[in-house]
Amino acid sequence: MLIRQLKQFPRALSHFSTVAEPAQVKLEHFRTNESTVSSQGSQHIGRFYRIPLEERKQLFTHGGLPKSFEKQAKTFGEVCVMVREPAVEIIDYIKSSDLSRPVNRFVLHGDDGCGKSLTLAHVLHYGLQNEFVLVHVPWVPNWFKRPKETANSSTHEGFIDLPFDSAAWLIHFKTQNANLLPKLNLKTTKDYVWSKRETTPAGSTLLELIEHGINRVKFASDAITALLSELKQHSTDGKCKVMVGIDGYNAFFHDKTRILTENKAKVTPDKVTLTKPFLDITNYDWTNGVCILAVDRIALTEERMESSLPRYQLGKEGFEHCDPFIPIKVENYSEEEFENCIAYYLDRRWIQNVTEGFDNELKHLSAKNPYNLMSVCAPL
Amino acid sequence: MSQLTRFLERNLQNPSLRLSAIQIRHLSSQAEEEKSFDDEEFRVLNLRPTQVQRQQRRVYKKDEPQPPRTKVMPVDQDWPNVWPGPRTFHPASVPLPLRQGFTEKNAPPPSKYGNAELMKIPNFLHLTPPAINRQCEALKKFCTPWPKNLETAEKWEKHFPVEIVKSDYCHALPSVRQPEARKVSLKIKLSNLKFDKHSKDKFLRLVGDRYNHENDVLTIQTDRCPTKKQNYDYAQYLLTACYYESFEVEDWEATKSLADMEVYEFEHNKSKISTEAILNWGSSGDKKKVDPGFAKSVETLINEGENEYNLKKYKEESKKLLGLK
Repeated sequence: MLIRQLKQFPRALSHFSTVAEPAQVKLEHFRTNESTVSSQGSQHIGRFYRIPLEERKQLFTHGGLPKSFEKQAKTFGEVCVMVREPAVEIIDYIKSSDLSRPVNRFVLHGDDGCGKSLTLAHVLHYGLQNEFVLVHVPWVPNWFKRPKETANSSTHEGFIDLPFDSAAWLIHFKTQNANLLPKLNLKTTKDYVWSKRETTPAGSTLLELIEHGINRVKFASDAITALLSELKQHSTDGKCKVMVGIDGYNAFFHDKTRILTENKAKVTPDKVTLTKPFLDITNYDWTNGVCILAVDRIALTEERMESSLPRYQLGKEGFEHCDPFIPIKVENYSEEEFENCIAYYLDRRWIQNVTEGFDNELKHLSAKNPYNLMSVCAPL
Repeated sequence: MSQLTRFLERNLQNPSLRLSAIQIRHLSSQAEEEKSFDDEEFRVLNLRPTQVQRQQRRVYKKDEPQPPRTKVMPVDQDWPNVWPGPRTFHPASVPLPLRQGFTEKNAPPPSKYGNAELMKIPNFLHLTPPAINRQCEALKKFCTPWPKNLETAEKWEKHFPVEIVKSDYCHALPSVRQPEARKVSLKIKLSNLKFDKHSKDKFLRLVGDRYNHENDVLTIQTDRCPTKKQNYDYAQYLLTACYYESFEVEDWEATKSLADMEVYEFEHNKSKISTEAILNWGSSGDKKKVDPGFAKSVETLINEGENEYNLKKYKEESKKLLGLK
């Protein structure tokens, strides 16, 4: 009797659920509804979750997702990110760590196309949902390889400013923290004198500082320096939490850039005004924050691409700057992740002409590398 | 007449003139007339000397080749006497049906007679077991018994850590000197010498590539002195001098900077400062020390080079250090 009742139970349950939410379709095995990153755990690894449109706009309007991925996401009509081991690991560390201790530095490394940038994006999403102030640089080499404009710094002798790139970054920062900054209402701790007539007095909000940098492009680099040191100060005082996410971080320690001075001499990254504040904020001397730094082979030039391991990529100086850090390796898809990805592509009708054994073929063609898989599947 | 002969002679000197030959013949008939006229004999001008009969060459008769020696060898002969020392292969002395070399398809390899392939390769026909046995027997009377308590290699090494390699040469030449004979090489395992950290480093720098890192052996080879004895003494001197020199500390050694360090040492680097700063963050009391495990993992990561294993170890240690999970 009891058994019969039990047998009937699932049917009754499904009956109820259809009544309650008639519009909801059954969730595929490769998806998860859990779009709150902090409640994702190891049971969600290998599943795709959708980043809501609002949050996506706030986070990635000015960069942050790899271009090819963004294009694909546009085609699919949704931004779905796979919950993967490295991101879950970092989020667990952040959750378990004591924020009153000096900042922990996590260094993401891995071969090309393994998903370092997307892991970073995933963690940033966590930061956004948990009210971290986000200091996010989508791709550092953009500054050193193709700067919009260069100018001699007026405040630092012999340094080079990147006014437009700095202003663009300030806009990016403002967009990402649009909700949080007015709420936190952080004030500057000292006077900033830009020129004879322009000053930002102590006690003005950080938003004013940012606005000034955006409106007066000439001072954008200095505004970043001021902003980051203020943020460090405030978070050490416990007024806010800061999450630093820098992709292509090793470019700061490379020995060359494509920037030329007036004398057509090449500039090293340490002679660019933007370098110092971002190195400062990745230093250990502040609290209430976390740094996620992705090192990438492609961030450097060809002669420095032999290995993708962090010591080689950071170099001696960079390693000493970051030490002690926690290296996080981003690897190729596992067997399950690969199957889920194929299922997702099938679901999105990205792969249409299916013959027997196609997934095995794709596996060998792409070597389970996420980027390779994406490019191999593109013409299918 | 005399004019005529002169003319004739001049013409004769130029044999290319065929015309003159006809004239001469004409003239000679005239001369015959004169001969009958005058009984005195003239020398005959013989323009085409009659061919001298060629002497027949003497035909040398080759001796018939002897039948090869192997044909007459008794079966129970004493082989070390036939082939006493190292020697190029000789077909007639080796009673074996050897064949060697490349041929056309389906043909057997060339036989041992006139076979360059067999002569090219070194042979060990002089080192047959009876020959070796005989030589050992002959040498036995020069040998002394093996010293007691030195049965194993460990014992040799313990009691005689220094190994000297010398060589003597013996040959039948007008000069008995052999330049190679003066060379002496001295080998010692460095674990037999007592060093401290500084002196070991300095010693290794002094000896340079004479030290083999893989088996910890130092080899000093000397050949600059004319005799073996002098070279031996010189090798001993070099070892002693290097050893004691390595304990000297010069004034300029204090100026060694981080960039001059041969290996990465955690103690002297920026990593130590930052790690201690993190550990002692916010505490004013007694300083916490860095866990030696972490220091070691950083050192291996940099000294041994980066690989998955070392990086994993480093990750574990830094997780422990930073108090994560």
